[in-house]
Amino acid sequence: MKKSMIAVAAVAASALFLSGCATTETTEETTSAATQSTTSTETAASVSLLESVKAAGVVRCGTRDALPGFAVLDDSGEHVGFDSDFCKAIAAAVLGDATAVEMVDLETADRFTALQSGSVDVLVRNTTWTATRDGSEAATFLQPNFYDGQGMMVASDSGYDSVGDMNGAIVCVSKGTTTEGNAALESSRLGLNWEVRSFDDTDLILEAFIAGQCDGWSSDVSQLTGFRSAYPEGASALSILPEVFSKEPLAPAVLDGDTAWAQAVNWAILATIQAEEFGITSANVDQIASSTEDVSILRFLGQEIESADGSAVLDPSLGLPTDFAYQVVKQVGNYGEIFDRHLAPLGLERGVNALWTDGGILYAPPYR
Amino acid sequence: MSSLPSTPAKVPLWRDIRVLRWAFQLLVVAGVFALIFWLYNNYQVNISKSQIQTDLTFLDNPASFTIPGSDFDQSQPVRDALVLGFFNTLRVALVGILLATVLGTLIGIARLSRNFLLRTVAAAYVEVVRNLPLLLLLTFMNLAVVLQTFPRIDEAWLPLDLFVISNRGLALPWFEGSGWVLLGLIATSLIALWATVKIRNTQSDKTGTPSYGLRIGVLIAIAILIAGWMLLDFTWTLPFVEGRGTVGGLRLDPSFFALLVALVVYTSSHIAEIVRGSILAVPKGQGEAADAIALSPGQKMRLVILPQAFRVAMPALGNQYLNLIKNSSLGATISYFELTQVAQITVGNGSPAVPAFTLTLLVYLFISLITSLVVNYFNRKLALVER
Repeated sequence: MKKSMIAVAAVAASALFLSGCATTETTEETTSAATQSTTSTETAASVSLLESVKAAGVVRCGTRDALPGFAVLDDSGEHVGFDSDFCKAIAAAVLGDATAVEMVDLETADRFTALQSGSVDVLVRNTTWTATRDGSEAATFLQPNFYDGQGMMVASDSGYDSVGDMNGAIVCVSKGTTTEGNAALESSRLGLNWEVRSFDDTDLILEAFIAGQCDGWSSDVSQLTGFRSAYPEGASALSILPEVFSKEPLAPAVLDGDTAWAQAVNWAILATIQAEEFGITSANVDQIASSTEDVSILRFLGQEIESADGSAVLDPSLGLPTDFAYQVVKQVGNYGEIFDRHLAPLGLERGVNALWTDGGILYAPPYR
Repeated sequence: MSSLPSTPAKVPLWRDIRVLRWAFQLLVVAGVFALIFWLYNNYQVNISKSQIQTDLTFLDNPASFTIPGSDFDQSQPVRDALVLGFFNTLRVALVGILLATVLGTLIGIARLSRNFLLRTVAAAYVEVVRNLPLLLLLTFMNLAVVLQTFPRIDEAWLPLDLFVISNRGLALPWFEGSGWVLLGLIATSLIALWATVKIRNTQSDKTGTPSYGLRIGVLIAIAILIAGWMLLDFTWTLPFVEGRGTVGGLRLDPSFFALLVALVVYTSSHIAEIVRGSILAVPKGQGEAADAIALSPGQKMRLVILPQAFRVAMPALGNQYLNLIKNSSLGATISYFELTQVAQITVGNGSPAVPAFTLTLLVYLFISLITSLVVNYFNRKLALVER
């Protein structure tokens, strides 16, 4: 009896010992692998996202799925909108194919965590560029694709004509946005004592607003215009108050510490603006590329430029193909086309988002 | 006759069962710690590459948001916001636990009633509610009941002219005066009640006359409350609608109301089953003995069955209370500013995610552990001492 017990104990003990051995071995291996992987991730940090995106053949773009005008799902489940087009422009520039993009839908509250963890390569999600986000969220913001401001939307029959009338009102905002902070600031500045309620999702705000639980809905004016156009009781049931209480430059963002990727994405965006300045559209880009004499346009489109020493194509060593601007304009369009396609139907004017030559502030650095 | 074996040979260290036991336990513990250390190391390396803070200095940053239902200003630090969120969680948890226990017990007893209608309605309630996901129940409560069934503020219901019910909240008549003083007054009257009952009971034990302790005690307590109310200048305020809000009285946030009702309905259906099971676990002989000494059904339940049933139910009830506390975090989906909502907002405003959420987890752990301690204390007190 005692013997068999000792035998059983010995078998069990050896089994445990071996598994214990295995765990210590694997933990030793994994700790050495960890040091190896830390060194390799440290060396990987010097390998830019630009290279890994080109290797993967797809750009993962952080976006959303229900903001009219900026990003909505159409009947076939594809993302359609202003921001979606810029995602496609980035793919067209880096990979030469506007469809080589994977749209990742993100909640407002965790869009930066997704960027920080590397779940998305670029965030094109009508995100405001602020100092705090540059710093503590470790984001690098690129050329803003839409200069916006924060406004307030109320029911037309509410009797409010201006923000100052809204004493003691209930204002609904999205969680984790600059709108929240700005609404609180505005309320204390004007002494209006608002009750600010924050929701995860704009659907929830819409429900609360329709039911009359919210007196006002505060967000970027472009968002409000989008929601107003899609309001079930018709756009005239809502009015957007005239006051704009903050600057909201909406810009794509990438993670800090990757200059090559940041510059590549930036020039993809700038290409759309420069194209509009040159008057190049997706319809006439082929004709212009083949027939123009203008050297700056030829350079921009990555075409050969005849010179005394032979022909050459400008390659500024951005890591992008030399004809990236051509691909962007051909496959997606210039800034004006993208704007007219998605935002003009909502009733948004170009306003400050016009070219600098038309009185706006969109100004692309020269491509040379 | 063979000789008895001599003293057993000394077992070598690597075969000695006592050594081996300790060795394996230490190895496994070392393995677990090594795994945790490796994960933490990875986190540190990744974070240091991106210059995101990993300490708790974010708690001193200004919050940049306001919390409805309080005087919280958006320039106050994040720490204060989290504390407020913590108290909101406690508020909904305590009220929820109280109401859910009362409702659950009543429904559990109703399921065992001899009355067919009562029994069927209780059974239907339990069977339906128990099988619904809480988030769905909460969304339904918020959208269908609070937002769409309750009227808009300009058409608010005014039952009895005392309450104002709208989709912006429930306004109740409330007192005007210091809350602490009122609490002290209530405490005094309860002590007087307890003292009266004790005194009358001891007197009744000695002399044999009926004590009527409870009746006299209640009268004395009410007298103290009324006297204190009038002497200390408390007044009622009744709520009424003004503009787009209510003035006066106590306004219950509609999200608080929706969350509370959803939690109470959900948890009470589970508690009803627990109570029913625990009542059925009381030996049948107890009920029959109670009938034999001519106790009324109410007395039987109150004096014989329920005390024994609660002894059985206590651990399971403790579990349901913990569930309720953790489920209160769903309030974040309907903009009730409890701890999870506040944590999500601060992270969205730029606080580092891992420290903020770890802190939130630890706070929930703390609340849950305290609740378990309290429940275990009652468990031990009620436990049958076995010889």
